[in-house]
Amino acid sequence: MTDHISEAVSWCLAAALLVVLVLLIRQRQITAGVRRRNATLEDSLRARDEEARHLVDVRLPSIADALSQSGPLPGLRDEKLAGTAFAQSLHSVMEQFIRAVDKAQTRADASAKAALKASMRAVQGLANEQQVSISEMQERHDNPDVLRDLMEIDHANAQFGRRAQAIAVLCGSWPGRQRMASSLTDVVRGAKSRIRDYQRVQVHALIDVAVVSRAVEPAVLAVAELLDNAARHSQPNTSVEVSLQPVHNGACIVIDDAGVGMDGQEVQRAANLLSGQRAVDVSRLGDPPQFGFAVVGLLAGRYGFSVSVDTRSPYGGVRAVLFLPTELLTHNDPDGRPGAAGQDPGGAEPLHTIPSRRTRPVRRAPHAPTVPAQAQEPSPIPHQAPAPHQAPAPHQAPIPHQAQPPAPAPAAPAPEPAPAPAPQLSPDSEGTRVYGTTAGGLPKRRRREAGATPPPGDWTTGAGQTGAADSDTGAFRARSAKETASRMGAFARGTRSGRSATQDSAPHHDEGNRQA
Amino acid sequence: MVRPYVVTDGRAYPTRNTFDLVTLVMAHPDRPLTGLSPEKRRVMELCLGGALSVAEVAGYLELPVSVTKVLLSDLVDSGHISARAPIPPAELPEVQLLQEVLDGLRARL
Repeated sequence: MTDHISEAVSWCLAAALLVVLVLLIRQRQITAGVRRRNATLEDSLRARDEEARHLVDVRLPSIADALSQSGPLPGLRDEKLAGTAFAQSLHSVMEQFIRAVDKAQTRADASAKAALKASMRAVQGLANEQQVSISEMQERHDNPDVLRDLMEIDHANAQFGRRAQAIAVLCGSWPGRQRMASSLTDVVRGAKSRIRDYQRVQVHALIDVAVVSRAVEPAVLAVAELLDNAARHSQPNTSVEVSLQPVHNGACIVIDDAGVGMDGQEVQRAANLLSGQRAVDVSRLGDPPQFGFAVVGLLAGRYGFSVSVDTRSPYGGVRAVLFLPTELLTHNDPDGRPGAAGQDPGGAEPLHTIPSRRTRPVRRAPHAPTVPAQAQEPSPIPHQAPAPHQAPAPHQAPIPHQAQPPAPAPAAPAPEPAPAPAPQLSPDSEGTRVYGTTAGGLPKRRRREAGATPPPGDWTTGAGQTGAADSDTGAFRARSAKETASRMGAFARGTRSGRSATQDSAPHHDEGNRQA
Repeated sequence: MVRPYVVTDGRAYPTRNTFDLVTLVMAHPDRPLTGLSPEKRRVMELCLGGALSVAEVAGYLELPVSVTKVLLSDLVDSGHISARAPIPPAELPEVQLLQEVLDGLRARL
């Protein structure tokens, strides 16, 4: 019996032990699981802490730097967090920060640009004003010593004006001056005027192409910046070669320097700036600020020309090519440009006060008889006409017609050198011929050119019979050498006598027109 | 647009000092125009029509007289133009005489 009891007890014990064991094992497993989970959570918490610190220390500051360089922003430090709500929150923090920084920067940039633009405008205005006074002084003084000094000031002033202009353009201003269409050569020489080492710049080809007026000033400024770069980055004893080339759909200004050249990274940066696509940040042009390419790129984008600097020049430096498309080019229009080669500026002097009865009738109507002056008048007195000639009596017949000058002219028989054609001259007499008009509406005249025949298309005849009264006063006529000489002689004598008269009375002209 | 120092290439002193405002210059049409700057070409074109005074050349070029003189001296040096000296004072009528004529005219009118 006791055996049975003890056996039962031992079984019970065994069973209890087993249960305890099982429970223990399970407990242990649960504990391990909890511990593991705890560790994971702790890790995760630490990771988030670190992620937050990373955000503050690395990611947010990098946004401010990266805004101007547009490089890739640093991502999460721990990839395990990717996709979690925490990561998304961090991302939205980043986004908001980017927006805030962007806004602040835009505002700062705008105000900096506005301030710079306003001050540069003022400086530009002063420089232009000074240039006008310098030009006036150059006109006034005829002394080479004074001229040399004025040239130095003028040169410095031109560079100064260019700088101000470049900064103003960079800040969104317009280049400033409206000019007339100018030849490409003058554009390059205008640019040459504005750089320090202008004497090293050599312009080669002279091609007969002009730049339209709205593009003149931007082209001058862009070429000036390129020339300045070329001259600045090459040795002082080398020259900067400029050649002008007509190309299929435009023209090119090629600037070669013999300088140090640019490496790949610089070329890349320059191409970036020259593309004119990206807005220029005034505050990030370096110290000292290098705005040359930025200005050129901006102007190129705005006016539609293009600039490239990625070629090596045959002299070892950089070759800059400024390409002007056909839209920006025009032909050298002499009428549009008073100073253009081959065209004389319209004289303001009313030349029809100068009589020129000798040359004109001959040129105007070669078949007309040499009739004295009175024949050119629309003479209502019929018997005056045949006076100098052996005109036969039958020609007296159309006398009533001659009273109306234009009528008999075509009817008059040409082979017979009758006086009848003479009145024909009067309706479109030389005195009323005008070769175009100036911008101010004044009639233009040709400068004397011996034997030159005026283009018939240019003639406008006006005044008709009434203008015939001064028919011997011509707007266009040739002057004989003798007449020219006598006139110039008279001018010279007059000037001489005037001078010798005032010489004694005004001896204080120590830097005036007196030449040693 | 093109400043005077570019026109003269930085020089302010003419190579010769014989130019006056009324000195007459004449172009030699047989000289080649190659290698001349635009201003010098223009001087040649202006002067081909006959003699022109320095003051007139300066006026047409829209350049200061002193700058024009530098250009003209260069052209004389290169044989493109020749300058005729102004008429010497001996050939000029007396100021006294002119004054008398003027007085006489005034007295009559």
